[in-house]
Amino acid sequence: MASNTAYVNDIAEGKALVDGVSDEILNQDYFEDQSKEEVITKKDLWNISIRGLFMEGNFNYERMQAGGWAYTLIPILKKIHKNKNDLAKSLKMHLELFNASPKLFTFIVGLVAAMEQNKEKPSTIRSLKVAAMGPTGGIGDAIDHMTLMPITLGIGASIALDGSVAGPFVFFFLYQMIHFPLYFWLTFYGYQSGVNALAQLKEKTVLLSRAATILGLTVVGALSASFIKISTPLVVEAGQATVHIQTDLLDKIMPNLLPLGFVFMMYYLVQKGKSPSGLIGLTMVIGIAGKYLGIL
Amino acid sequence: MLMEALLVALWAALCGIDKYDVALNIHRPLITGTVVGLIMGDLQTGLMAGAAMELAWLGLVPNAGAQPPDVCIGAIIGTVFVILTGENPEVGIGIAMPFAVAMQSLVVLLFTAFAPVMHKCDEYAKRCDTRGIDNMLYLGLGVRALIYAVVAFLPVYFGAETAAAIVALLPEEVLAGLSAAGRMMPAIGFAMLLKIMLKKEVAAYFFIGFVLVTYLKLPVLAIAILGTCIAVLDYMMRSERQQTVAQAQPASAHGDFSDGI
Repeated sequence: MASNTAYVNDIAEGKALVDGVSDEILNQDYFEDQSKEEVITKKDLWNISIRGLFMEGNFNYERMQAGGWAYTLIPILKKIHKNKNDLAKSLKMHLELFNASPKLFTFIVGLVAAMEQNKEKPSTIRSLKVAAMGPTGGIGDAIDHMTLMPITLGIGASIALDGSVAGPFVFFFLYQMIHFPLYFWLTFYGYQSGVNALAQLKEKTVLLSRAATILGLTVVGALSASFIKISTPLVVEAGQATVHIQTDLLDKIMPNLLPLGFVFMMYYLVQKGKSPSGLIGLTMVIGIAGKYLGIL
Repeated sequence: MLMEALLVALWAALCGIDKYDVALNIHRPLITGTVVGLIMGDLQTGLMAGAAMELAWLGLVPNAGAQPPDVCIGAIIGTVFVILTGENPEVGIGIAMPFAVAMQSLVVLLFTAFAPVMHKCDEYAKRCDTRGIDNMLYLGLGVRALIYAVVAFLPVYFGAETAAAIVALLPEEVLAGLSAAGRMMPAIGFAMLLKIMLKKEVAAYFFIGFVLVTYLKLPVLAIAILGTCIAVLDYMMRSERQQTVAQAQPASAHGDFSDGI
């Protein structure tokens, strides 16, 4: 493939393709180049970990940390995928919704690096990454926000209140002594776990991808119920009785009915081919109109 | 005052990055109060004000995209106020709170406004333009740093009272509406994921996960463990079945069914 040889040089020089890869190719669920060389070095793992420090750089409500997640992986993706269709496919998949603890997500970085290197199917990688992001959020909050942060801040602040400038420094060093070693170690640990697990699971990729989808979808269902927050303060006065629509009606049918309904409304519109930008605009209009009318 | 305001703005820009990325945690009131004190020429007061505000706001950390009042901007404005007026840190907290809340709305607005950037990234992905995706991240960092710098600069330069009057002008419904929209918006990201992942034979698992949170209030980690168990069981059962089928075929060739299950 002449075009692909040219591409390899282009990528090395950091040039973009003039023509984009077609949607048809992007939607194929396999990597064309199945050579599984071990190209990832220790240096690469350090490199992506450092990039990962900026993973919330363009955080947004539509896909949360997706931009930073893709940014983190770019160096290894370029190294692994010497085929332009494969690289585009992989980049596109990694730009889908992602949200995990920025302190612990390096474990998923390492794991996904191993899977990409092993040229697993994009759908398998997606499912595993989606499944892993939920728990790191919960564990991250528990370790960081509920434990490490209050303890180190509490110690630092109490020293500071005694009038000593050591307070801020004590907080800084106590916190980072745990944060950074854990953060970087998790990349290597995730990568090694991925390499070992994949070696055992090889030749069963169809089953593996099914199992990953089961896990991924279960977690997506759970996250839909916890990340999307919609409720109505609407109260209906019917003679003597006042009915709080949210607590007296909707929650009686099913809690989280509105978030679920909204996800499937969006799903329906996406299936209909509506662009996500349009849906963002729609959501903003609904939000503002809802506040003015008092239904949100 | 210009020099101090500029230095505070520069520090705020760094904090704006640090609040969501890198996590040196220099944005926490304990450190930021001290640094602002240093800039304003009263390290000791800054230290005490920072520590007091830290203890008051210890619980205000962002969780899963939900934004609490912005302690970083709060600490900067509170500390400056305390140093300039000589009031107690507690008064500073009261003055700083509206700014912390207004900053929270601004951040929500920023996170909403950055959704279209993802579609730009999609285009870059199609053309394998990794540098484009990189630049979109730097753009996000830059805009965020700039907003923090401007918001910190204004009150220090014009005085907290003038700035508070400006904050009061913001239309409340629009801000509240945008933040409500922000909390709804992950639905779009999930819809895109579902478009790819949701297939008839596995769709039930989505609802299993949903019900476990909605009715049983299980933490996501518990559900992930449960999901892993189901996935492992499914994997084992299916690979066993595959093996049985594979074993059954040569066995049947010999006409021997004795070890079939």
